[in-house]
Amino acid sequence: MRRGRAVVLLLAALLVASAVAAAPFQDPALDTRVTTLANGLTILSLEDHTTPVVSFQIWVRVGSGDEARFTGLAHLFEHMMFRGSEHLGKEEHSRLIEERGGQLNAYTTRDQTVYFTDVTAEHLPLVVALEAERLANLVIDEETLEDERQVVIEERRFRTENDPQGRLFEALLALTFQAHPYRVPTVGWMSDLEKMGLPECVAFFEEYYAANNLVVSVAGDFQTGELLPLLERELGGLRRAEHIERNPTVEPPQLGERRATVHFEVAGPIVAMAWHAPATGHDDAAALDVASEILSSGRTSRLYRALVYDEPIALGAAGGYWELKRAGLFFAYAQVRPDAKAELAEARLLREIERLRDEPVTEAELAKAKRALEVGLIAGQGSSNALASRIADDYVAFGRVRPLEERLAKVRAVSAADIERVARTWLVPGGRSVVQLLPPPAAEEEPGA
Amino acid sequence: MSRVWASVVLLIALACAWPAAKPAWELPPPPPRDAAVVQEGRLHRETLANGVRVLVLEDRRLPAFALGVVTARGAGVETPDEAGVAAYTAELMERGAGERNALELAEVVDALGAGLLVSSDWDAIRAQVSGLSQDQEALFDVLADVVLRPRFDADEAKRVKSEQLAALRQASDDPVTLLSWHLAKALYPGHRYGLPEVGSQGTLSRLDAAAARAFHRRIFTPGSAIVFASGDVETESLLARIRATYGGWQGPPPQGLGAPPPVPDARRIVVVDRPDLGQAQIALAHGGIARTDPRRLDAQLLNTALGGGGFSSRLMARIRAEEGLTYGISSQFVQRHQPGPFAVFTFTRVPKVGEVVRAIVEELERIRSDPPSPAELARVQSQRAGQFALALETSAEVAAALVDLDIYDLPPDSLDSYRGRVRAVTPEQTAAVARELIHPEIASIVVVGPAETLRPQLEPFGSVEVVKP
Repeated sequence: MRRGRAVVLLLAALLVASAVAAAPFQDPALDTRVTTLANGLTILSLEDHTTPVVSFQIWVRVGSGDEARFTGLAHLFEHMMFRGSEHLGKEEHSRLIEERGGQLNAYTTRDQTVYFTDVTAEHLPLVVALEAERLANLVIDEETLEDERQVVIEERRFRTENDPQGRLFEALLALTFQAHPYRVPTVGWMSDLEKMGLPECVAFFEEYYAANNLVVSVAGDFQTGELLPLLERELGGLRRAEHIERNPTVEPPQLGERRATVHFEVAGPIVAMAWHAPATGHDDAAALDVASEILSSGRTSRLYRALVYDEPIALGAAGGYWELKRAGLFFAYAQVRPDAKAELAEARLLREIERLRDEPVTEAELAKAKRALEVGLIAGQGSSNALASRIADDYVAFGRVRPLEERLAKVRAVSAADIERVARTWLVPGGRSVVQLLPPPAAEEEPGA
Repeated sequence: MSRVWASVVLLIALACAWPAAKPAWELPPPPPRDAAVVQEGRLHRETLANGVRVLVLEDRRLPAFALGVVTARGAGVETPDEAGVAAYTAELMERGAGERNALELAEVVDALGAGLLVSSDWDAIRAQVSGLSQDQEALFDVLADVVLRPRFDADEAKRVKSEQLAALRQASDDPVTLLSWHLAKALYPGHRYGLPEVGSQGTLSRLDAAAARAFHRRIFTPGSAIVFASGDVETESLLARIRATYGGWQGPPPQGLGAPPPVPDARRIVVVDRPDLGQAQIALAHGGIARTDPRRLDAQLLNTALGGGGFSSRLMARIRAEEGLTYGISSQFVQRHQPGPFAVFTFTRVPKVGEVVRAIVEELERIRSDPPSPAELARVQSQRAGQFALALETSAEVAAALVDLDIYDLPPDSLDSYRGRVRAVTPEQTAAVARELIHPEIASIVVVGPAETLRPQLEPFGSVEVVKP
């Protein structure tokens, strides 16, 4: 695992470098071809024969933000998609891919559910056949629901209930959004997971897993002339939905600071804060991204210097803009040292946010932040999987693949005045939500706790 | 051609041309396309007179490169008393070198849009820079400073110690980290492997700049060093610079490997008491093999079938897919310079811990009594050979894998021969390693969770010790 991470870092660094190369970078995603089948299914295909690998992804336009009654349904359903179909038994789909050396998995966010499979090129027809089989012939029964319910409950315990950061993040979202469905954790609340029934799962599949709610994204080593007829044959018969229900709730304006405390068995507190920020695609997004970099990128960033290096308050501190389809957040957090106080960390975090509002960032900071962002944007081209994800992410949010040059131009245009302006617009004291995660009250009284 | 033959040929042609009546998953997999790992003429290797090994992998598709120096010694050569000095030294190497202090070094790297990373593990310390090929000269010099002229400034040494002590306290909040620490302690008491790789509160508090300087001098030495580069480099001119910079490097002979750990021969059951947890972290483990063990490939295939093969492995199929008792379970042979443990890791809700431990023990017994059949072995062979192509997509990945071979003095053609060697393993070989290397009866069991509920569930497996986190 350690070695794998080092390789990823190295790869990212290699790609970074090309961002600032003298020669203009050729955006590979510009060659993406968009095809829509008669049933409304969208196919994004991007041929790239650099390596013999292909990534096949299905993006379903449904996430926890669409849930109405039982929270966690979108994510639990993602698990059910691996539990067998009319012609294949439980987990056989995974076995068939893995025994050919492929990798597959899935994830659910507030806006979508994504299934991906990476294989060497000769196995692509199998991947397509397996996806067609589960989309057309999925088996949803009491037994598999019960097994998978328990698996998801263990996942919730692992990622949230036993994890201080998971607890903190869950509390911060529920505090920041009081009405909007983004307040709900994607894994769902425990009581909902325990009670969710088969009828809800079946209805969910019927409603959201329709052809016109799916985007298939394929990048890597394949021939478009062979792939498109294959997809037409295998997926062209999927049903189309006449109407797809969406959750209508919009977050009302926040009228004052909100605060919460979470107690957890920890040596050192964690402090996190968030402000409402615009949904994806907003004109202020680039300036908010640059502000994020100035706060958080590298050993010379403001939060690292203020809370970790110059004054030893935290083990780590960062902040940034998180854009979602229907709303956004700007957040900052600090992992406070066991020997330091949460209040001090909160004050220092706030001071750095206020500096963004009250004084212009330096030209050197601006230049460094822009370069870091360029690096990040280009680093997204590293593998077939990354390319397929990028084009699908763009298409699902914007209905098109945004050229890299368009995004880079927006970043390059950000001025110090823009950062002050967006900070004054969005990072306002009355729109702030703050969560402190602290050791349990009794332990707090003990010396050195 | 006889009419019979003509008919046969016609039939075969028809069968091939006919649309597949069977679904794709019922057809035999297409033959693997084993592309060469390294294209002809792109890799250069040499050993300098002072013992420095050099590896340059040229790939000019992107205007970028990576350059590193690895020493094939890490935390594994520490004595238990100095545990953590490798990680401490690595961190300090990033905090000032040559003429530049910590912030000056960070600034120069940032200004080039480059990366600098020094990391350590049990078996190596790796220092690496990466960036644009146009900045290669400047970054070459940064790396040479970091490797040959680290400053170990006293104030940075104090700062890093304070950070690492605080991080160690904070890490003990994490049940998974607690599990790994207590498992190591249960298996290897008194040996370096029995302490966390990053050291303990006691050993870390004794470290200072002088300790880091001495450790650096001890292990960064030409005979243990591998200089590597990959990406957009001009091999000949880079080699000239490497020879000029590292060819005159003098140092002590390579330090020997750390002492082998004692082989754990009896089961211990340890509960790390965390009454607040609703989900317990579980490990079952006993002694395993070194990275250079001749049985490592057989063991890797066996383990892929047992618990290292993702969703299709036996442990995952039974404990997650069939019984819904966990979100994830895996097993591994942890391979280091010296034999590391064989371990199974998972987690489950507290009342089910006994049931999960029982199931794991049964699966370990079953892999011995019912080792992978020819069909099961063929599946894991195909899995491993296929994953190999996915894992070596880029030159950087290939270079890292080649350096890894050098760290353990493994044959340099191991990557080229890997898929062939995987496919040559027989069911008899995996059955043999199952008998030799899997020993459920002596596997120690470590669980992090509420002791009161866990103790009665674990007592059927032996005597239970309860310890504080």
